Order: sequence, then C-alpha cells, then structure tokens
Amino acid sequence: MPDLQFQATVNGRKVARSAKPHQRLLDFLRDDLQLTGNKEGCGAGECGTCSVFVDGVLMKSCLMPVAKAQGAQIETIEALARTGELSVLQKAFYKAGASQCGYCIPGMVMAATAAIRANPFAGREEIKERLGGNICRCTGYQKIFDAVEMARDVQNGKLPASALSEIEAEQGDFIGRNVRRIDAPSKVSGALKYAGDMTMPHMLHVQVLRSPHAHARIVSIDTSAAEKLEGVEGVISSADVPGEDGFGVFVNDQPIMARGKVRYVGEAIAAVAAEDALTAMRAVEKIKVVYEQLPAIFDPDDAMHDGVPVLHDYAPDNVTKHIPIRVGDVEKGFAESDLVLEETYATQAIEHAYLEPEAGLAYVDPDGVVTVVSPSQNITHHRHMLARIIAKPIAKVRFIMSPVGGGFGGKEDMIYQGMLALLAMKTRRPVRLVFTREESIISTAKRHPSRTTLRMGLMRDGRIRALEMKMISDGGAYGLSTEGVMRKAAILAAGPYVIPNVKIDTIGVYTNNTPSGAFRSFGALQTEFATESMLDVAAERLGLDPFEIRRVNAMRDGATTHTKQKLGSVSLMRALDAAEKASAWEKGAPNSRGGNRNDLNRDDVRPPVSLGARFETADKQEAAE
Amino acid sequence: MARKRGRGMAACWYGIARTATVDRAGAWAEIDDGGSAKIVTGVTEIGEGILTVLAQIVAHELGVKPADVVIGDNDTARSPEAAHAGASRQTYMIGNVVALACREARARLAGVMAEVWDVEVDLIRTGNGECWAENTNHRITMGEAVDTCKKRGVVPVGSASFGTDTTGLDPSDGAGRPWQAYVFGCQVAEVEVDTITGEVQVLAVWAAHDVGRAVNPKGVEGQIEGGIVQALGQGLMEDYKLRDGHTSTSGFAKYILPTSLDVPRVNSIIIEDPDPIGPLGVKGIGEPAMVPTIPAIMNAIYDAVGVRITSLPATPERVLGALREKQRLTSLQAAE
Ligand code: FES
Ligand code: FES
Repeated sequence: MPDLQFQATVNGRKVARSAKPHQRLLDFLRDDLQLTGNKEGCGAGECGTCSVFVDGVLMKSCLMPVAKAQGAQIETIEALARTGELSVLQKAFYKAGASQCGYCIPGMVMAATAAIRANPFAGREEIKERLGGNICRCTGYQKIFDAVEMARDVQNGKLPASALSEIEAEQGDFIGRNVRRIDAPSKVSGALKYAGDMTMPHMLHVQVLRSPHAHARIVSIDTSAAEKLEGVEGVISSADVPGEDGFGVFVNDQPIMARGKVRYVGEAIAAVAAEDALTAMRAVEKIKVVYEQLPAIFDPDDAMHDGVPVLHDYAPDNVTKHIPIRVGDVEKGFAESDLVLEETYATQAIEHAYLEPEAGLAYVDPDGVVTVVSPSQNITHHRHMLARIIAKPIAKVRFIMSPVGGGFGGKEDMIYQGMLALLAMKTRRPVRLVFTREESIISTAKRHPSRTTLRMGLMRDGRIRALEMKMISDGGAYGLSTEGVMRKAAILAAGPYVIPNVKIDTIGVYTNNTPSGAFRSFGALQTEFATESMLDVAAERLGLDPFEIRRVNAMRDGATTHTKQKLGSVSLMRALDAAEKASAWEKGAPNSRGGNRNDLNRDDVRPPVSLGARFETADKQEAAE
Repeated sequence: MARKRGRGMAACWYGIARTATVDRAGAWAEIDDGGSAKIVTGVTEIGEGILTVLAQIVAHELGVKPADVVIGDNDTARSPEAAHAGASRQTYMIGNVVALACREARARLAGVMAEVWDVEVDLIRTGNGECWAENTNHRITMGEAVDTCKKRGVVPVGSASFGTDTTGLDPSDGAGRPWQAYVFGCQVAEVEVDTITGEVQVLAVWAAHDVGRAVNPKGVEGQIEGGIVQALGQGLMEDYKLRDGHTSTSGFAKYILPTSLDVPRVNSIIIEDPDPIGPLGVKGIGEPAMVPTIPAIMNAIYDAVGVRITSLPATPERVLGALREKQRLTSLQAAE
C-alpha cells in the first residue's frame, strides 16, 4: 500500500508527513511526532492510556488508523498545558494527589477533560461512568474522582481558584502535611519519560522469540535466516551468554534465555535487534527452533509425587521452598479446645497489570560500561547478577532505574534486562525493547495461587488454643521470589494473635505454569485471608462479635510472635477500636444478620451502581441505531 | 428483595522492610547553593510518593522548603545503594537514612554558624529556608548560611547508612526476628449482593492502619485506597487462567480489572504508633493496606446472604453457585 500524505492539525500546529495508512494514530503521534505524553497500556482499546481528542471527540488512539484522522484537529495531553501552565483539571489532579505511578494519568486527564466538557455539572456518579473506559491500577480512583469534582467546582465558581494551590506550612514543619506530590506536574502533563518513551540516537529495536510449549527440550536453534534479513543487527540465544547464566531473587535458576529446555509458555528463547521493530519481528519469525516435547506438570500437588517430571535438578521433589513454624504442640491444643474448625481456602493467580508494560534500553558507554535503563524495582541486585552473567566486573555494569509505571513487585525480576545487555554488547549500538501487553502478561510473574488447609481450635470464650495451617503454592517454572513469599506467608499466617500452639507449613512448588513471584503483600494476603475468614466462622459459632473475638486474642504490647520475637508496642487494639468506631459497627455475632443491621447505608457509603441508569437516553439512542 | 446488604471485618499485621534478613540503605545529602538541598540515594518513585516523602523529610531536617529539594536519579554508578523498591520499605529504610544523612550535613552547617555567631551550636536553628540563633538577632537565609560555610572552606555534606537488627528464621521451628517494625490494621467492608445475578458490589471500606508516623497523610490514603482496590480485584474478579500452561487471559478484555464503577468509598483512619528505632518514627503502608480487604469482603458477603466464599475470586457465578447450594441444603433440611 502506498504511503499516505497525512495532514492534520496536532496541538494547534499544522502537520504534513507521509505515513503508513494502517499505522496506528498512537504510533504516529509517539514515534513520528515524538509526542510521548499519551501512553500505550494495552494496544487493544481496553485501558484508555492512549486517549486523545480527534476533532474534539475522545478517541483511543491505539485503535485508530492514522488515515482516519486525515485533516482532523488532534489534541494530545501535551495540548492541555501548552502555555506552560497546567489546565484547571491538571492542577486539580496535582492538588488532590490523584497521580501515583502516573502512567494512566495522561489518558485519565483526557477522559476527565472530556467528562466535564460534556457536562460541566456532572455529579460524582456520572464522573465515574464517564471515566469507566480508563484503568488506573494504583490509585483506587478515589483521588481521581476528588480531582475531577474539584476542577468542576473551580470552573463553576463554586470553589475559588486558590483551592488548587499549595497550603504553606508554618515554621517549616513539613512532616505530617499534605504537601503536593513533587512528581505530579510531570505526570499530569505527560512530560515524564518512562523507558518506553525514551529513544537514543542510532538505537535498535528488540523483539523476543518466546516458547509455545510448557515443557520441551530445545534440540536446536537456527538463527541464520534471521541474521541474513536486511536491517537485522544482532540475534542472541543462550549460546551468547559469556558468564554464569542464571538469575532469580533467591535462587539463580532462570537463564536469561532458555538454555537447553523451556519450562513455561512465553519463556524467552532468542532475541533480535534490528533497525525497526517490524524487521525485528520478521526476523523472530525466521528463527527455527526444533523442540522435543517433554511431559509437563501443572498442578502443585501432583508435582510433589514421585516419578513426575522434575523441573530443576537441584530440587528433585520440585519443592522450591518449605518454611515451617512451630510453637507448642498443636495436637494437644486441639484436644484441649472446645471447638475445632477445619476448612480449605484457595486463592488464584493474578496479574500485576501495572499500566506500564516492561520496557528498557541498554547501551555500552564509551568506557565500556554496560548500561541498562529500565523500570526495575531492584537495580542493586540486578547489577550483581548481570555482572556475573556477562562476566564483567561490577564496576563495568550500570543500572539506571527509569520512572516506574506501576510495579507492585512485578518489576523485581530481571526478566528482560539481560537480553538488552547482551544485544547492546553484540551490536555496539543502543537497543530498546518494549513489551506488548500480551507479552507482559504471558511472560512475567503472577501472584502465587494457593491452596490452604486450616484447622483452628478455640475455647468457648473465643481464645484460640491451636492453629495448624498448610499452604501449597504454585511457584511456576522458576524460583523468582517464591522462597521469600513462602517465608512471609508463614511468619504472618496465624495473624496478630496470641496462640500457644502453632504449626505452619508453607510450601512453594515448581510446575510448568507461568512463574509466580513478588506481588504486593507477598504471601501474607493468602494466609491471612484464610485465618481472618475462619475467625468469622469461629465468632459465629461461639456467638461472639467479630471484633470481640479478635480482641480476646489480640497481641498486646510486649507480646511474643509465632517466630518467638518479643514485640514492643502493638497497635492492633487501636486499629480495631478505630475501625469499629469509624464504621459505627453494630455489635453482634456474624450470623448473616445483614438484613437486620442498623449500621448500613450511612453517608460514608457510596450508592450502588445500576449500570446505564444515568445514561438512559444515550443508551436508547445507541440501541436504536 | 434481590439485593442484600451486609458488613464484614478483618484485621491484619505486617512486617516493614525486608524479611528475615538484614536490610540496609545509604544516602548522601548536601545543603546546596541558594539554600537548596541535593539528595542522592538509590531510590526512584514507583508511584507510592517516595520522592515527595523524602522532600518533606529533607525540608524538615534541613530547614529548606520541599520545592527546593533535588533528588538525584537512582543509578548504581552514581548513587549509594538503597537496595530495592518493595517490601513496604521505602519510607522506613530510605526515609530514615535520608534523615540521618541530612542531620550530618546540617551539623556541619550549624557548626560553622555557631562559630561565626559565637554561640553554642545547639542554639542554631534552621527552618523554612532560614537559619538563626535562638535568643539572638542573628537570622539569615539558608542560601546565605551555605555561602558563609563555603567561604570558610566547608561544604555542608553528610552521608548515612541505616540497617536493621534482624535475623533469619530457624530452619526447624521458624524462630527468629524477621522485622524490627510491625504494623497492624483493621478494615470493615459493606457490600451489596444481587441474589439474582450473584454480583457483589463493595460500597464502602473503613480502613484503620498504623503507619508509625504519616509523613504525607494524603499519600498514605492513596496507598490505602489503591491497595484496597487491588485486593477487591483479586477478591471479586481478577483471575489469571491457565490451561496446560497456556493462558486464556492475555489481555484486558479477558483479564478483568476494577474500574471506576467498581470501587468502594474508602474511609481511611491513620493510626500513628511511632517506631522507636528509626530516627523518624515512620513505618510503612504499601502492602498491609490490602491484606484485610478480601476477608472483610468475604465476611460481608456471608453477612448479606449467608454463603461463605472460600475460593477466590467471588465471581457472580461462584456466588450464585453457593447460593443455590445453600438453598438445596435448606430444602433438604426442610424435607427431613
Ligand atoms: S486503550 Fe489504547 S492503549 Fe489501552
Ligand atoms: S497512577 Fe494510575 S496506573 Fe499508576
């Protein structure tokens, strides 16, 4: 197809360029015009980070071919603060603390701008619906709603413009004050550059070949056809690793690219650096890999049986880590108990879904220092590991942490930085890799799914006499943070309660599933879910209020934990009192009394949503069309 | 009535900073020309607001304004190690070490000013961009104070290291001192369950969390609100599905995330039980904020409709299935 002579007005300036007709508007704006304020979060119309105005209408630019915007007036996030001054809405985001990682924020600001343009008097519930197409993974949205309401009120004169400025602290005491976030202006304006927004002169683009199999032996990798392709500057596989290959947070069991074997679907096998991403992608398709499929194991319970496939030689029972905690004698404790409960709890794998997919750049600097720029949550450890892997002294390896568009633990693993370093070394040119959303989901760590059996023995007055828990957790194909997750899960499993007899076992297991890794609240979420759920059952059975049963067992100042650590001050009672008071909790046993409660539906509770109710006319119109 | 309301609660505890290992962080500080501050430490914002927290701490410690604080990039070749961005450790480890580094830099400056003004060093005060000596008329800007130091050959710099007194766990019974700072929290959730569709809406969460000392209360709220919504996602909708190692949820069309319409009104209550060990009393909030949310929601579902969801997520299908099972058991009992 011939190139398109594209003409449009972008942020008030005339633009005339040739473009590929099917190029996405998003890429044209970001790559050709270097307007990187609007981001790509999903490339599929699902997240809203790419939202721009086309002839005044909010559009997801990842779904729009540039040809469709021919002759249009296009506004990106950069348009809103063109004069250097933030718009009222941007200032309100700044003031309200509505940005965290900031990656969703340019799209969110565009959507919010559209919302109050459409209805300058929109109420909170309407604002929520109008922002329904934009995902934010960090903020929980509340401060975003606050910001939009604040901007609306300033625009309507209900609030003075000064409501948006900083309150001056008296006498320089800045601790405990709501100082506005110093990074907010760069985020609400789209000025901040994440790794995927950065370019370097002479930079190559990287694409990765990933495993289609869950478990297979790699018989051969033939990269010759890929290497011959015009525009390809370098192809790497595990054979190109000069040092001791292997990374991980606790055990270095994962090679930079599959070595001899693939252990999960999506595992990196080879990578290509080429003049542009499309060429790199074509070259990836030309890499020929011969596999011999191996029997695979997908269930962590099965994985611990004899005679099943073994994932890693060092762990012949497929157990990555087992953490035991023992206090007293649980069997004796159960025998002494008035009530013994038993239940199984299960939690699923979930995805971090940070809005910024993985991205990074690498180059070798004039002094021969291999440098990697990426949103890594742990550059200190990554530098150590990479130095060993590429066989260089630590001083010849440098990691720079770029702004992180959401991490939640998911960016602690050195899952792609090694490939970047190797390609920069091989091509002697800067290289950049930007994951697609799909790549990010299939190839990076998840929260550990778990199956937990819990037994709890209690006395009639609610005191817990014994607690026994066993959690089996699927760590997937590589160790990553499994060991640490099992440890934290175990230490915190029995909750902040004084219990004389405790037996806890958390076991992380290798399977051929997507690896599990660090995820905000790191194992404690799984085990405390079980314990806190069972305490509610116990309270019901014993006719106790759920706050009361916790107070009966609560650790107090000077308590000893289940790992036999003596604590100082313990704030649990204060937290229980505060939550009970703030929610005006009506006392009573948790025996499904919901219908009879008198503490429901206060004014600090949001109204329930009935979808579409507020946009009846618009919906009807759509239905009629 | 098809829609039923209920409430549930749950508590939590959590350890701050790295687990069952010695944690550590380093920082450099300089009171710079014009009375600004230059801080270099291995930290980058991952969204939690650490840069703002550090600016406030620096302003508090040095007597400059947060807007005059410059924080250097996190770069293994240019900044001291502060280890990683995770484990709810940033305010605790890096906040504390930056405070210590600032104290050293400030002591240098105060020493010079005490000499110049011929007063005891502990009478030197700094605050909000100014430096003065208590009970005297001496008062100059921080910019002037830096200038005075430099004319006497002193650059007001400081550095510090902050480490934890922690141990590993005994391999047989788990005994050990995994953290030196613990936090506690409690949440109440109010839900509405549609008994026809099985859909659960979380309408409100009251969240009380100990953070030691809140440097920026709005930032703490932001962490609590974001944590609760992530937990709500896991509790009600998110599910990374695998079949024979292949996922069917590789995009946001299939992998469902909480949107603006799903979120509860979050009412945060910040509790401050200062950490006695670190110089600032701060602890952390990133992770603990999401720990009690799921059990509080599941307990609220039970309160509303009498079914216990023990396997996550509590999707409409799963809630409906549990309701049907409950109905079956009740009619069986009635028949007996
Ligand atoms: S909606 Fe366009 S990138 Fe997600
Ligand atoms: S601030 Fe919204 S995704 Fe991070």
